Amino acid sequence: MGLFSKKQVDEPTQDEVADDAERDFLDETFREELRNHGRWYFEKVIKENGTLFKKELDATVAQISVELEEHVIKQLDASITQINTELKEHVTQRLDEQFAEYGKAMQEAQQFTLESLTRSAHDLQEQHQKLAETLKKSISDQEEALNKVSSENVTRMDAMKDAQDKALVSLNESAKALQEQHDQMGETLKKNVADQQEILVNAFEGNMAHIVEHYLLDAVGDQYDMKSQLPSIIQQMDENKQAIVDDMKL
Amino acid sequence: MSEFVLPASVISKSDISRLVIELEWVDNEITAAAVRAGVGSESGSQPVYSVQLNDFLDKNKLSLEKGSERSDLIKQLRAFKSDAPVIHMTFAGAADRESLEQLTAWVREQVNPQALIAVGVQPSLVGGVYIRTPNKVHDLSLRHAFDGRRDVLVKELEALRVGK
Repeated sequence: MGLFSKKQVDEPTQDEVADDAERDFLDETFREELRNHGRWYFEKVIKENGTLFKKELDATVAQISVELEEHVIKQLDASITQINTELKEHVTQRLDEQFAEYGKAMQEAQQFTLESLTRSAHDLQEQHQKLAETLKKSISDQEEALNKVSSENVTRMDAMKDAQDKALVSLNESAKALQEQHDQMGETLKKNVADQQEILVNAFEGNMAHIVEHYLLDAVGDQYDMKSQLPSIIQQMDENKQAIVDDMKL
Repeated sequence: MSEFVLPASVISKSDISRLVIELEWVDNEITAAAVRAGVGSESGSQPVYSVQLNDFLDKNKLSLEKGSERSDLIKQLRAFKSDAPVIHMTFAGAADRESLEQLTAWVREQVNPQALIAVGVQPSLVGGVYIRTPNKVHDLSLRHAFDGRRDVLVKELEALRVGK
């Protein structure tokens, strides 16, 4: 490394030399001048060395950074690769275990379902068989009942036909009698209508006479006053005078 | 029964009753005036007679000066009121006084000069008069006339129907 490349050898330094010379040869002012010069020189050297040190430090830091980066990347790659490998193995193992468990459970479920289906099919077959037998028996019963009912219906229809024939004959007779009654009633009704008409007309005439009379009485009654009636009354009294006189003499 | 000549204005028993009441009043007035004259008091005015009383007194030539005559007249009128022959006459409407007086005059001229009239009203008679004497009725009303001629009307209607 170049940090200590300018390290002095084991010789007396200029300061030591100057100190020695100072003690011997220089006064205080000169010594001060020298001290300033030395200080200036030292500062210069320090500055140059600082700059150089800084450059080298920068370069070193940059190099270290690059190297560190490479190292870190390499370490990370290795670690990732290792982790990936381990993770893959772990996941594969877990998956295999899970698959094995699932497969086992699936197999058990399939077995159970198969057994259940087999059992159901067996039951269904038994029920189907029973149903077929029942249906067969029912059909035979129905056929028997139907035959029985059919025969009864035939008998009943024969009886009904006879009854209908008799009823038809009776109806014809009734219709004939009804027609005769209708004719008789028609004649009676005509006669009654004529009689009623005559009665009504007579009543109408009587009522009409009464109405006319009532109308006349109403109409005339309002028109008469005592003075206008007086001649007529006296005339009628004259006509009945003898009867009145005779009764008053009794 | 006393024989009175009845004026036309005296028609019914009510008129006779009014005459009696008026005569009693006149008798009281004249008697009171005589008493007052006897004690020297003012005699007061003479009583004024109604038209009916005046007619009655004129027709019968009666005087009311004597108290005994007045008393006799009152008694006779009371007796006449209860014994006078009455003819009941019913009309379809209210009869006016003038017509009643004419009818009364006819009755007293043709039947009996002492007769009184009892007047009634029956609107269903329509017209004419319904006379009731002591033992008979004489229906001279218009309704009775129509009732008697209803057959004629029926025959006319029947003839009209047959003609159609």
